[in-house]
Amino acid sequence: MKVSVEYQALAPIIILLASGVLSVLVEAFIPRTLRRPIQLMLVLASIVLAFAYVVINATAELAGDPLVNGGQVKGLRELAASGSIAIDGPGMVIQGIILLISFVAALLLAERQIDPQGDAFASRSSTLPGSEDERQFTAQGWLQTEIWPLYLFCVGGLLLFPVSNDFLTMFVALEVFSLPLYLIASMARRRRLLSQEAALKYFILGAFSSAFFLFGAALIYAATSSVNFSTVAVAMENSSQDGLIIPGIGMIAVGLLFKVGAVPFHQWVPDVYQGSPTPLTAFMSAATKVAAFGALLRVFYVAFGGMRWDWRPMMWVVAVLSMVIGSLLAVTQTDMKRMLAFSSVAHTGFILLGVISTSAAGLSSTLFYLLAYGFTSVGVFAIVGLVRDASGEATHLSQWAGLGKKSPWIATIFALFLLALAGIPLTSGFTGKFAVFTAAIDGGATPLVIVAVVASAVAAFFYARVIVLMFFTEPPVDGPSVVVPSALTTVAIGTSAAFTVLLGIAPQPVLDLVINAGLFIR
Amino acid sequence: MNGESVVFWVSGTFAVVGALGMVVSKKAVHSALWVAFAMVNIAVLYFALEAPFLGTTQIIVYTGAVMMLFLFVLMIVGVDSSDSLLETIKGQRLLASLFALTFGGVIVASIASTLSSPSAGLAIANAGYGGHLQAIGFLVFGTYLFAFEALSALLITAALGAMVLAHNERWTPRKTQDQLQKERTFSNHVTPLPAPGVLARNNSVDTPALLPDGTTSIESLPNAFRGEGQVSKSNSIEEAGK
Repeated sequence: MKVSVEYQALAPIIILLASGVLSVLVEAFIPRTLRRPIQLMLVLASIVLAFAYVVINATAELAGDPLVNGGQVKGLRELAASGSIAIDGPGMVIQGIILLISFVAALLLAERQIDPQGDAFASRSSTLPGSEDERQFTAQGWLQTEIWPLYLFCVGGLLLFPVSNDFLTMFVALEVFSLPLYLIASMARRRRLLSQEAALKYFILGAFSSAFFLFGAALIYAATSSVNFSTVAVAMENSSQDGLIIPGIGMIAVGLLFKVGAVPFHQWVPDVYQGSPTPLTAFMSAATKVAAFGALLRVFYVAFGGMRWDWRPMMWVVAVLSMVIGSLLAVTQTDMKRMLAFSSVAHTGFILLGVISTSAAGLSSTLFYLLAYGFTSVGVFAIVGLVRDASGEATHLSQWAGLGKKSPWIATIFALFLLALAGIPLTSGFTGKFAVFTAAIDGGATPLVIVAVVASAVAAFFYARVIVLMFFTEPPVDGPSVVVPSALTTVAIGTSAAFTVLLGIAPQPVLDLVINAGLFIR
Repeated sequence: MNGESVVFWVSGTFAVVGALGMVVSKKAVHSALWVAFAMVNIAVLYFALEAPFLGTTQIIVYTGAVMMLFLFVLMIVGVDSSDSLLETIKGQRLLASLFALTFGGVIVASIASTLSSPSAGLAIANAGYGGHLQAIGFLVFGTYLFAFEALSALLITAALGAMVLAHNERWTPRKTQDQLQKERTFSNHVTPLPAPGVLARNNSVDTPALLPDGTTSIESLPNAFRGEGQVSKSNSIEEAGK
């Protein structure tokens, strides 16, 4: 038997993980004052390099399987690392989306002008909140530059997650990207106890969901003698051991649905989104969701595709619950970050429609939705981080009153993002929803689409409420103000807004891209 | 009933008892011992399933290294907090038990329905590799090489995370020997501070020392244990004599 490592196909993942190691060495050997610029350059360079490799792989002229893509053989399409990783069209599209979002989120993480004390992270997260140590380190302007190696490992894990082709590699990837997220979530500069509580909650619930995933994989292995997706798919068709397979599918679904934040596995979402440093929330709400949906798609299309009549009813229930509960609870929130967290739960329900339709259209529309939603989400949280008063971010809804009169530009862009989240035409959200709903109707899920439309209408209410609050009410006397950020955040918000508008008015090139990405390799 | 199923039912039951004992124990030391017990029984199951390498690793790594490290730390530091049994959400325990039992029942019933087929054993799985160890070696360094390498990222993250969360650097200049000497001379304690622990009863570092006059000395404790509510152990002479 031959052991093979296809370096070109795996280059994006290897680049990120290797830069992570390099970044740890920077922490160890470079003087403190030089670390931040060096780390930032390393992070941005490695993300750009990895993205370049994704593009090279996706456009490579290769003598592959002529049946794929209707005879148009273009783009890498191979099983790498002895079949444990599948580099294919949808996988590379998802890797590309993750890298784009990671680049923009890295700019947000590096922002140092919003908070007068430094960046969004605690000066030393090992100090006790409120202690003399903390005060001293903050006064001396220390920065926790260790977030950068953690960030690189996290992005590396996210890249590996959606292209894993067996449950073992997928589990390792899941842990590789989760652990840094748990850590960075605990490092907020302001409201540190809230941040640490959020991280602990995320860690414990995340450990539970990983255990579910592992138990499910063990049951699938018991039934099919394999953890490899294509082998599992073949073995399931000939297997009579439904007693192992059905619980196995259910438990793996629990592990993955936890990561995307679907009801009833959503309890961590509002707390963690609220407690985490806002740049991390922006990253988490976008990149983690994209990667987890990529993995969910691969597992349920490739490994469990033949069992779709068994898992569809379960997914229907989860999708309906996510849309309804997410939208309804978002209406009742008074905190901006919590409201957006519940809105992200509702969006998870919408994206699940694409997963449920199990068709080529379902796959491509989900990919489009992920790109559209990812950028809108990054932009929305980036702006949430800008509205501040003396004690930090002003996230209570009442504090946002009259913001449109004080800072018309920022309020307009925020309104644009909210309209995109609501799915108003000429924004990316509309195109994404339209594509996903069409695919779901073709896939025979019309009742689900009706629920989705009603849930969208409810969701439109609370997005519109914020817009009304910003533009048509008088600002409070001692209200918060919008901080003028450095170029880093400006570029991030600008990019997100550009994607949101472009994918709304001219979505065709991207739609063509996701359709040409083809299907998952088996 | 053959030998393998006897071992399975005995060790399997013990492993489950150990896991349950870990959850219901109120003291951390007892929990750790229960986990060690469960781990040993799982190792026995591995041996019974023709996987001697896994069984040995399980005992050496989990029972031998990890759990004993836990025990050492627990006993040296003497962390002995018991759980609060207060329910913060009303009816939570009842609902949780209900859901857990339903879930467990469904899983057990579902898996039990497939138990009729005989165990395949490892002979087929090992056949292509020439043995159990060779097969594991090939899987770890061959088929799953990339996952194995990616694990290094996980280990580095864990080490880095521990540093970030626990390691504190100094922001004041280090005191010179001269300063330290002066501070000690002018303090109330020219001699070294008393050592923590009472040999007769409790020797962990969170137990304040018993002075010759019968009082306990807070100064014998490390700083981390001096806080309000953390000095819980009383060490009067009467108790120490018991």
